[in-house]
Amino acid sequence: MNISPDEAAKALNEIEASRAAMRQAIRAHRGHLYLWIWGCAWMAMSVENWMYDQKALYANYWIMGACIIASTLIRIVQGRQIRGRMDGRFMGVCATLLVFGYFVWPVLLGDLHSYDFRSYKAAYAYYTVLWMQLYMVGGIWFDNFWFWVGLAMTALLVATLLLAPAMFWGVTLLLGLVLLLSGFYVRYGWRQSA
Amino acid sequence: MNELDPVIHQPARLQIMSALCQLGERTRVDFTYLKDNLGLTDGNLGAHLTTLEARGYITVEKEFVARRPKTFVAVTPAGRQAFAGHVAALQSILLPK
Repeated sequence: MNISPDEAAKALNEIEASRAAMRQAIRAHRGHLYLWIWGCAWMAMSVENWMYDQKALYANYWIMGACIIASTLIRIVQGRQIRGRMDGRFMGVCATLLVFGYFVWPVLLGDLHSYDFRSYKAAYAYYTVLWMQLYMVGGIWFDNFWFWVGLAMTALLVATLLLAPAMFWGVTLLLGLVLLLSGFYVRYGWRQSA
Repeated sequence: MNELDPVIHQPARLQIMSALCQLGERTRVDFTYLKDNLGLTDGNLGAHLTTLEARGYITVEKEFVARRPKTFVAVTPAGRQAFAGHVAALQSILLPK
């Protein structure tokens, strides 16, 4: 098959135009909505905890419940347009981590209801770090930036809890802001094609 | 040396392959969403997808989402390789000899 340089240039331009249109569409599915929702939730919970300490626990459950519902709805709507194939092994790893983190360790081997942690802050840090481990596993599994988000947040949370507990809620507030800003970066700044 | 692929070179199929190759390896796109993004008609897109599928460049999977039939399209590794080869061949035509 032979074509002229003009035809080749035209074909390459068409390819670039089509890529640009798809890139734009993919950007809307990159997960920034989740980062915005959970960033806001994390900030709200931090402020509540700062003001009311352990009394804020049940309000936190309501916030998390609302965020889980919103995240599920986004997943359903976006999954109708562009969807990744469900990775059974990845879901298995996540389930194992969550079962261990929420059930085996605190309930079977400890006492969840007595909050037998050093403090409410330590309990909050534990469950937050547990979710950050999922970010890290996801980042390793899919080779994306979630690993670094999980690692940075884990390190900062643990370091603050151990070294400067008075600043703990301030740091969790800051981390919520980081999630929120990450959402803006993913939506508007990230140049990676897919 | 890469050569032009006549199956991919057809303008609509070139558009389809360019768009699909932007997706991640494990990602599929809905037929209607792809059609709207590329500005093609149902029949046109369907016919070109059949051609690409016959060559093993894409996969077309039908499934039910919320009790409605949906068609998802994804590029195969062979399709990705063929498209990369086609683009390289186009670029080589523009290189000064």
